[in-house]
Amino acid sequence: MAAYIIRRLIWTVPVVLLVIFMTFMLMKQIEGNPFRKSERAVPAAVQMNLERKFSLDRPWYVQYGNYVKGVGTGDLGPSLVLRDRTVNDVVAEQFPRSIELGLLAFGWAVLLGVPAGVLAALKPNSRVDYGAMFFSNVGFALPNFLVATLLIYFVSVKWGLLPTSGWTTWQHKILPSFTLGLVPMAYFARLVRGTMLETLQQDYVRTAKAKGLRWRRIVTVHVLRNSLIPVVTAAAPLLGYIITGSFIVENIFAVPGIGRYYVTAVSARDYSVVMGLTVLLSIIVIVANLVVDILYTVLDPRTREART
Amino acid sequence: MSATQIAGRMAGVDAGAPIRQSSLWQDAWRRYLRNRGAVAAGAVFLLILLWCIVAPLVSPHDPNHVDFVNAYQGPSWSHPFGTDQFGRDLFTRAALGGRISIGIGFGATLAILGIGVVYGAVSGFVGGKLDNALMRFLDALYGLPYLPFAILALAIVGTVNFWTMVVALSIASWFITARVVRGQIITLKENDYVRAAKAVGVRWYGILGRHLLPNTLGVLVITIFLELPGVILGEAFLSFLGLGINPPDASWGSMAQDGRDAYRAHPHIIIIPSLAIASLVLCANFIADGLRDALDPRTKET
Repeated sequence: MAAYIIRRLIWTVPVVLLVIFMTFMLMKQIEGNPFRKSERAVPAAVQMNLERKFSLDRPWYVQYGNYVKGVGTGDLGPSLVLRDRTVNDVVAEQFPRSIELGLLAFGWAVLLGVPAGVLAALKPNSRVDYGAMFFSNVGFALPNFLVATLLIYFVSVKWGLLPTSGWTTWQHKILPSFTLGLVPMAYFARLVRGTMLETLQQDYVRTAKAKGLRWRRIVTVHVLRNSLIPVVTAAAPLLGYIITGSFIVENIFAVPGIGRYYVTAVSARDYSVVMGLTVLLSIIVIVANLVVDILYTVLDPRTREART
Repeated sequence: MSATQIAGRMAGVDAGAPIRQSSLWQDAWRRYLRNRGAVAAGAVFLLILLWCIVAPLVSPHDPNHVDFVNAYQGPSWSHPFGTDQFGRDLFTRAALGGRISIGIGFGATLAILGIGVVYGAVSGFVGGKLDNALMRFLDALYGLPYLPFAILALAIVGTVNFWTMVVALSIASWFITARVVRGQIITLKENDYVRAAKAVGVRWYGILGRHLLPNTLGVLVITIFLELPGVILGEAFLSFLGLGINPPDASWGSMAQDGRDAYRAHPHIIIIPSLAIASLVLCANFIADGLRDALDPRTKET
């Protein structure tokens, strides 16, 4: 197991380098450089100084090396549009809100999705099951901008219960986090139902039943615990859903977070911010995968042999 | 002895017990038809396709005809889906938007399939160190969100059209497909008929093209409907953020964006294209489930 974990750790390094490299090369494809745009025409001497300051006069591999060095030391460079601000400033200001939104969405998903899956699996093909799976399917299919609009339309505008947008009081956080949590909720419900049904078929559950254990105890001790292992591995796709969804949800509810800022930065052609955020999000996903893989190896002894 | 004679003899041996011969695909088709949900989803899916193709051809309304007198109309007999802020008929426009959304959806899905098959087949077929490297790479990238990369790709190309949308949506969405194809190739490689083919001297491209790839076809058909919802939603997200298809052309996503400003007074403008997306995605998910049960008999019991 140790060998697998070490190998997995070592592999992360070239992948991160490659992702930075691909993002870097993508950004290089954009014509010219940020200081040659017509709207910021500057004297030739100033331009040369600017290019020297940001190493734009050096060959690409030097620039790449510098950037990797920066990422390694946690410095994503200066913003090209906002004066006196670095990408780190943007991240420090906006990212905590996105994390909070993501965690709250995850909270909704655990709070509603997992019980729905458990109840559905305990009574397969019952009304509860069909109802839960219906909501799961619909939750997957509805585009979150429709969900967001309907929630704002009814909850905020018609009934006046919650504010329409912003991110200040706890009331502001309910609708965005619920909207963002809908897909993970649907995902959890389906996943937990599937793994629960599988676990319920296991011999040790039958043994526990034969021993005369209470059903409630069998479910909580034997079934639920083993069914939740695959849920851990679902963290990666979930993180993907939450990041993707946050772009839309933050946009609609005017949450000043990374997802919304990313789109703003693209429109403003603030490429260092765009690149920094892309690299940051990618590294988060890569690290999450690493943690999940290691956690999975620790949690489920069966995978150890297969993987080493 | 001719083939018919042999067949006749064999039939004679089994006289009275007619053997129903059926291929994998016929079996799969029969299993699929038994799944009522999947059949209904398939029917609705085809109906949506039909509507997208036929409605603009027979519609009495010009989809780009601006008519401010009739702007923001709710659903009526002459405009079943109402009209938008320019008085354009939404029934016709939604069908046209569907052509673009579904077209981009299938285009990107095929691109994902293409990249995934090449990557997965190379990885699985070559095996060894290369396989190990390619797969560790995928392990690390699993679940990487496609949206930032799609936005990045569109920003770089600068122009938004059918092909750039296809590239943007497939650029970071092929990881799962590659892994599935690789898994399939690895399993198939161990089959006796592949060993036999190798033993009689069939070259590597013969084995790959004749034995391995055709047998991944079932998985690929499932994958089409597994990936389609993601890219259709992805296109809608990009358009909704204002990064999609340019006017006067519209996809379901950009139509939804049009309705965003007027959602309080005229919610139907955002609801109609969104529901079209939702129906298509829902159908594709059900079709994928049905196909999986039909094409992979091992899982059909559960």
